[in-house]
Amino acid sequence: MDLVDLIQEKRFLGQEFLAWMWYKSEERGGTVELPNDGDILVVFEKHMLLEYGEGDTSEKVICRGLQTELKEARAGLLLAKKPEQARIRIARGDNEYSVTLSAGTLEFRNVRLPKTAGTENDGKDPEGLEAQILERIALLEELIYLVNELFRMFVNIRCSQEWNDELIKIRQWVSEGALQQ
Amino acid sequence: MGLLAGSASFTRFAVQGELPENFWDFVADRVVANSFKDIDDTIDEFSIGWVSVANMFDSDFAYGSYAAADYVVLTMRTDERKISSSVLKKYTMKEEERIKLEKELPRLSRAVKLEIKERIRAELVRQSPPIPATFDLCWNLAENSLLFFSTSKKAIALLEDLFKETFGLTLVLQIPWLLGQQMVDESQAAQYEDMRPAVLL
Repeated sequence: MDLVDLIQEKRFLGQEFLAWMWYKSEERGGTVELPNDGDILVVFEKHMLLEYGEGDTSEKVICRGLQTELKEARAGLLLAKKPEQARIRIARGDNEYSVTLSAGTLEFRNVRLPKTAGTENDGKDPEGLEAQILERIALLEELIYLVNELFRMFVNIRCSQEWNDELIKIRQWVSEGALQQ
Repeated sequence: MGLLAGSASFTRFAVQGELPENFWDFVADRVVANSFKDIDDTIDEFSIGWVSVANMFDSDFAYGSYAAADYVVLTMRTDERKISSSVLKKYTMKEEERIKLEKELPRLSRAVKLEIKERIRAELVRQSPPIPATFDLCWNLAENSLLFFSTSKKAIALLEDLFKETFGLTLVLQIPWLLGQQMVDESQAAQYEDMRPAVLL
């Protein structure tokens, strides 16, 4: 199967990952325990794009707002819409990141990195520039690592007997969202 | 905004293919061979190549600035002379009217109209300055992975071609399905392949 078909046919995996991560973050008030790394902060905020159906018949809903609790988005889940894009805050220790993740290709959009001591470099000092580059890369790779570990956790549950129990909990969480309207 | 500063958007790739033993010599040769060539003083419509991440005018890599520890960091630069369709239409119609008046013709043949359009297009292209665009990348040699700081499909297609042309290596977009395939163990592989969409309500 070529990549374009694979993206379309397996789109559900990224969408379910975002839905699962949203449920998982709310299960313990914004904290998710990674198997090898312990607790990290995972908070859904500001912006979510949900999709229903495929191709020409698909419907999209955008929910955003500064102090939003994503109520409309939660209601969307109950109408069988699935998250297509979500703005997420992730933190481990002192490092806090924000990123918009897309379900189809797992692109990282508008990534905000923690503020560091690194200063802007005008390109005239090769050593300073290299240090600045390596510092940025280290932060980007930490964010990628955390998203990868969350995804690994999801995939391992998704392919195991545990998924049936997890699915019941997710469904319960989705219907609780409707009761909060 | 990309690798060096500000908020970043990026797409992830796996790099497939064998790296040569004398890797850094190979990179030095190939990057210079595919570095960006300026088209400001030519009439070329398009140019693509590598420049330093620190400076879009540095295509000589004076400081060897594509090497940072175990990473190759580069900027793909494109310069393109673009003509908007409405501008082309306007000047083509103007020229058609001029020729009709000059030759006292009620209308022009399809072939003549086509010739006018092509000529006007070539003239406008020559007059318009090339529009530059830059996209950073960071290639992790230890993990054979690459971050490309754009989510534009057009830029991604250009990168895949330029990377292949430069290094003879293939970039594979890391979509969730392919990423997950690498994360499940053998006992879960069959279940992974059989996965179907779940109903979440």
